[in-house]
Amino acid sequence: MAYISIWTLTRDVISTVFWGIVKLIFWPPIYQFVIIPGLVAALVVVISIIWFERKAAARVQMRYGPLEVSPKLAGYLQLFADLIRYSFQEIIIPRTADIIPFITSPFFALLLSLLPLAVIPVSPVKWTWPLTLSAMRYSVLIAAALTTLSPIFIVAMGWASNNRFSTIGSMRESFLITAYELSAIIGIFSVVATVHSFDFTNIVNFQGGGKWLGLINPIALLAAFIATLISTSAFPFEISDAENEIVAGPFTEYSGLMYGVNMGTAYIKRWAMSVLIVLAFLGGWRPYIPPPNAGYIAGYLVPSLIVSAKAVVVMALMSFLRAVYGRYRIDQALHISWKYVFALAIAGFGLGILEGYLL
Amino acid sequence: MIIDMQSSEVPRLNMSSWEIGESRYLPGMEIKKLGKEKFVVYIGPQHPGSGHMRIIIKVDGDVIVEADPDLGYVHRTMEKLSEGRAYIKIIPLVERMAILDACNATLPYVEAVEKLLGLEAPERAKYLRVALCEINRIASHLYGFGIFGVFLGHSTMYMWGFGDREILVELAEKLTGARLTHTYPIFGGVRRDAPQNFTDNLRKAIRYLRKRLEDYRRMFLDNPVIRKRLEGVGIVSKRAATDLGLVGPNLRASGVEYDVRAVEPYEAYDEFDFEIPVFEEGDSLARAWVRVEEIKQSLRILEQVADKLDKTKGQQIMHDRFWAKVPPLYKKVFEAEGRVKLMPLFAILRVPKGRAFARTEAGRGEITYYIESDGKDKPYRVRIVSPSYRNAIMFKYAIPGHRVADLPAIYGSFDYFPPEADR
Amino acid sequence: MSSNDQLKNFSEKLKENLGDLISKVEIHKGFILIETHIDKVRETAKKLKEIGFDHVKSVTVVDRMKDGVFEVGYHVSSYLNKDLAKYVVELVTTVPRDKPLVPSLTDIWLSAEFQEREAYEGFGIIFKDHPDLRPILLAPPVAELKPMRKDFVVKEEGIYRELPKKENVSSKVSEKKG
Repeated sequence: MAYISIWTLTRDVISTVFWGIVKLIFWPPIYQFVIIPGLVAALVVVISIIWFERKAAARVQMRYGPLEVSPKLAGYLQLFADLIRYSFQEIIIPRTADIIPFITSPFFALLLSLLPLAVIPVSPVKWTWPLTLSAMRYSVLIAAALTTLSPIFIVAMGWASNNRFSTIGSMRESFLITAYELSAIIGIFSVVATVHSFDFTNIVNFQGGGKWLGLINPIALLAAFIATLISTSAFPFEISDAENEIVAGPFTEYSGLMYGVNMGTAYIKRWAMSVLIVLAFLGGWRPYIPPPNAGYIAGYLVPSLIVSAKAVVVMALMSFLRAVYGRYRIDQALHISWKYVFALAIAGFGLGILEGYLL
Repeated sequence: MIIDMQSSEVPRLNMSSWEIGESRYLPGMEIKKLGKEKFVVYIGPQHPGSGHMRIIIKVDGDVIVEADPDLGYVHRTMEKLSEGRAYIKIIPLVERMAILDACNATLPYVEAVEKLLGLEAPERAKYLRVALCEINRIASHLYGFGIFGVFLGHSTMYMWGFGDREILVELAEKLTGARLTHTYPIFGGVRRDAPQNFTDNLRKAIRYLRKRLEDYRRMFLDNPVIRKRLEGVGIVSKRAATDLGLVGPNLRASGVEYDVRAVEPYEAYDEFDFEIPVFEEGDSLARAWVRVEEIKQSLRILEQVADKLDKTKGQQIMHDRFWAKVPPLYKKVFEAEGRVKLMPLFAILRVPKGRAFARTEAGRGEITYYIESDGKDKPYRVRIVSPSYRNAIMFKYAIPGHRVADLPAIYGSFDYFPPEADR
Repeated sequence: MSSNDQLKNFSEKLKENLGDLISKVEIHKGFILIETHIDKVRETAKKLKEIGFDHVKSVTVVDRMKDGVFEVGYHVSSYLNKDLAKYVVELVTTVPRDKPLVPSLTDIWLSAEFQEREAYEGFGIIFKDHPDLRPILLAPPVAELKPMRKDFVVKEEGIYRELPKKENVSSKVSEKKG
């Protein structure tokens, strides 16, 4: 008797703990911020994308790329080796730096660039939404607002470093912020005009049956894509931390783990923007439609993986440009972003309104 | 600094007095008054975009108002060291200033000494010298392209330039036995003969490079981003280029048709058919294009050299005056392996009294040597003026008025090489 | 031989053009040397520039310690005039070693600016009215030694030699240098 009761007790405890953990993992705020598409997915994706970026560039440039660490995996573990190196390097804080902003800014920038991922739906099933139903109606608005927060800390980093190259770098960054942000947000909002809703779920549902908004409104997609390139200092626009001009721009004085965090931030931001672009233009979790009462796997994990896979493709495309282009000058980049990308975004918005009226 | 020429007093030669007060300042560490909105930025010497030199720039916002090049970080006092060494030992010394251009850098020295000795290299030796010079020139241009690419953030051009340079370096190794510091031309000839299948390899390399130049154009020179960065940037007019005394591709990009190979043909250059590419624009893009065109012309010369080398196979590569004194063993080795060991008589070579001036066209431009001998085994004075040193003056005059971001574009387009400038 | 005749003809022409300004014309290997008095250097240079010699290839200073003079020479040639480009002319003047004052030619030939600075740091020659006369390659403390002069002898390190043990090596070395 006792044996059985202990066995049932253990079983109960184990199942409670297990389901508790599962519940915790799949609790929307934790799941989206920490797991998919948040921190863990972002790290895995960033490492894979950097590996891909290096390998693809190496192929174009007639060389091997990373290989020595784990030749059987084509050097995939090189990035982990780099990560370990960064984490054990000495962190040097210059005496002239403004210490509190100097130390805190990189981590704020990292966290804030992840935040947009915590307010977007990655599945149409109601219980998976990270915000309340009423807030969810404005998820596009909230996500777009949150993307604008992290650059402030990059400017703060440059200012706190008290180094001339950092100052020039953060000045360039602040010029660029004003230049790209408007285009990025207007580009994404043109979708809102078409669908008549600020809700990402409605926007994704609208794109069923291959009716992707990126195909309907390619102008807005292009504007958002270029604005993302500028915002994450991807290649033709790698200006605020141009190595040959201003060493590492705002990150010049950073070393060790903090430098690694800074390098990761740009990629994580690119990841967050890619996820937003996928939801807004590339059909989100479509063509998969989860059953209305789906559980953890079918209702949450699968759609979030579909969104991530699409976002990886977008990000890989962005990274590949490194092998092809050089970098623009700051005034040329501003010229391009105000004169062409902004016009493109406005045109996309106009097209969005027109389509909203017609469809 | 104003000094009264008429005063009978001996002027003070205290170098430290060139700055405010009597205290001593190292260059770049002086106390200077600045405008309220101005900002001094030290580009270099430990900076990814400067090489082993420093440019002290004063910026007003993002625009450079004043640039002061500070050279000498890799200064090796070659002129002074030369005064204390035997003539033959100076060749490996001076070629260290531009190891990717070693033959071109030492050739005028060898020529100047040959002028003093009153001898000329035999025909085949001249062709071999020309072959190595052109191989070096292409390698130097490709290296320049690589650096130029990485300055503009174009990593593909960097890798391509350095990767394709390897072919030329290997050709040079086959010819001379050394990848970079060849010490190939010596007084009266060259150090060793070309190996058996050298001309075949040369022709193969020429074919390959012709194909690659087309890729360079597509990927780099016609790339919209690169064009935008280079067009109209760092313009040096014809007049300015002449006044500043620029040399080499930089001069020819500004519309001045001057190439020592054509003006005062040395070695066997008067026998070959080639053109001097000249561009009128004078901007960074023109400077890049001149280099591409020059590589094409060099390939043309190399093709002709390959034919000439085939024709003169087995001929002497050392002047009779030295060859007559060679021990029989050396002659046997030469006949068997085409290799000449450096003869001991060079170590005690005495050069007749006199002065000589020689100039050649190195990869980056004209390089000149002035040699004065007082009849001993060491020169009395060696004056070296290298192309990069003469180009360095443009940093002061061509950069102001541009943006900070243009600095790498201009610097890269001038193909400035600090070790060569500092000597 | 024909090139030698050309050189002779050219030096004759130079003599005619420059007249009293120059005291000596010599043909050397690879260049023509014209010597002038220090007071006439600027005038000669201006005349040469008028003729078409538009740039300086090399500012060559030779220390003639036995005669007690410096020989300051400017190797000039032409870019724009293709006939003149074949010749290199050295404009030479001598100054006493104990009072090395030379008028600067930078305002006539801008290309001489950096090379005059080099002559200043190496030999201690002062170029009057040079716009920016300061050392270029060397640091001021080294330039003060005037290292290019013949009486500055370079001590070669020679073959490896063991330093005395149990003493502060670095202080020993610096003492010796001092």
